[in-house]
Amino acid sequence: MNKNLTLFFIIYLSLMNNAYAYLDPGTGSIILQAILGAIAAGLSYCAFYWNKVKNFFKKIFKKKEKTE
Amino acid sequence: MQLLKNPGSFRDPAGQVYNYNNKIIRVVKKFGKKRYDYIKNKDIISESVNQNFLIPTKDVTDEFKDSQSNDDIYFLEHQKIDYISYPYEWSFYQLKSAALHHLNFQLFLIDKNTVLIDSSAYNIQFINHKPIFIDVLSLDEYKEGDYWKGHSQFLQQFLNPLLLRSKKGIPFNDWYKGNLDGIKTTDLNELLNFKDKLSLNIFFSVTLLSKLENQNKINPDKALDKIKKRKSLSKNSYKSMLVQLKNWIEKLEPLKKKTEWDDYSSINTYQRKEEELKIKLVRDFSQKNKPKLLADIGCNDGLYSFESLKAGTHKAIGFDIDINAIDKAYKKSIKENLNFLPLYFNAMNPSSKLGWSEDERRSFKERINFDAMIALAFEHHLALGNNVPLEDVVKWLMNIAPKGLIEYVDKDDETVKKMLSLKGDIFPNYNIKNFEKYIETNGNIINKSTISNTRILYEFEKN
Repeated sequence: MNKNLTLFFIIYLSLMNNAYAYLDPGTGSIILQAILGAIAAGLSYCAFYWNKVKNFFKKIFKKKEKTE
Repeated sequence: MQLLKNPGSFRDPAGQVYNYNNKIIRVVKKFGKKRYDYIKNKDIISESVNQNFLIPTKDVTDEFKDSQSNDDIYFLEHQKIDYISYPYEWSFYQLKSAALHHLNFQLFLIDKNTVLIDSSAYNIQFINHKPIFIDVLSLDEYKEGDYWKGHSQFLQQFLNPLLLRSKKGIPFNDWYKGNLDGIKTTDLNELLNFKDKLSLNIFFSVTLLSKLENQNKINPDKALDKIKKRKSLSKNSYKSMLVQLKNWIEKLEPLKKKTEWDDYSSINTYQRKEEELKIKLVRDFSQKNKPKLLADIGCNDGLYSFESLKAGTHKAIGFDIDINAIDKAYKKSIKENLNFLPLYFNAMNPSSKLGWSEDERRSFKERINFDAMIALAFEHHLALGNNVPLEDVVKWLMNIAPKGLIEYVDKDDETVKKMLSLKGDIFPNYNIKNFEKYIETNGNIINKSTISNTRILYEFEKN
């Protein structure tokens, strides 16, 4: 949780800029979608390995139950 | 009969909307043929209509064979909307309903490999209290990896105005009317405080996005480079963005700030007896005239519209300046499934002709198509509250419909006394004699019913 908060503030502070020139605001949305897409992909990647870890422990517990 | 081009329909080269013989006709141009063929062949239109997402639409190309050309390929007829309204006339819950309708429609479509190519809030209209999508040419084929083209527009036209009210308690309407594209993410970001921004939803959809937009303005080449190198967006990510926004918007509520007319029906100075008498007169009027479309000016929470609908009026549109009263009326219309659409309306500054060439969004005056009107406890707010000459108030009200009911409130009335207590009586022409004279200048008095010592209800018919 603390790590998440630190990451949140790093991104937050690194983005403190002012802007003057002109570009279609839609470009920001596309970059944001790319970031969100990457986060979603990252999360599903984590979920994949988390499930593997969970299954590993489940198997161990099941084995233990059987041996008992 | 000629096809008359709708001046608000020009942005999409794929097609244009026309009025023809009191019908709404959309012409699909050569540029839009591929788009239309796709949704037509996949039965997307009929399925979307059946699910109440899309306005009923039928292909009437055969009827327009003579008008067909190399550029005008298909002719579609849409069900006509009784009263066109705009997002700056909607209350919080109406914009929220429209936003959820848009997202639910997108979620429905994406499973059929179809997307909405834009997120214009003006593509949603209300039939009574139900939102409906009206622009069939906004539907197009989804291709794997596609980004959500209307994402930024959705935030500006739906999410940001809702957040303005939800986080800051500021109604979005006047701001929205000033900028027809909604509320810019960068502007909203400036208003939100640190506490607001601690929400992850706000961080991604407002703070991060506005910072990216600002950065892109400083360095557009770098931004374009990033966009070129971007990876494709998976369908799951596309969908999860829609679901995330949907879940968030479903939970949004207005920041409660009591308005002047909150609980008007329960705390006003009227006696219950007077109210019952007015209800009876509204019912009698509605029973006698059976209006197809009634305007209720100063509708408050909709009490008299509801009574009118029960007595024979087919549909009613309510207008009121109090945004909380509109929300209350809208919720009641949903709950009781009434043919009633309440809208935000400031009679001292009604919706004017706005947008491109001052012709894109129509004014209140241009949209008047009512066959009856009621204005109860209303005229004194214009004449005494806002100093509009009584003669002009009566004329303006009588121009809304050929017949109706107008309540006259005398200077001796308790409410009026309060209104004038600071201002003083600077209205020498405000009296019942003149009121009647002005009605007769524009039409006839059909009935005159005494509500109390200080209030009289007039039934009029225009010349």
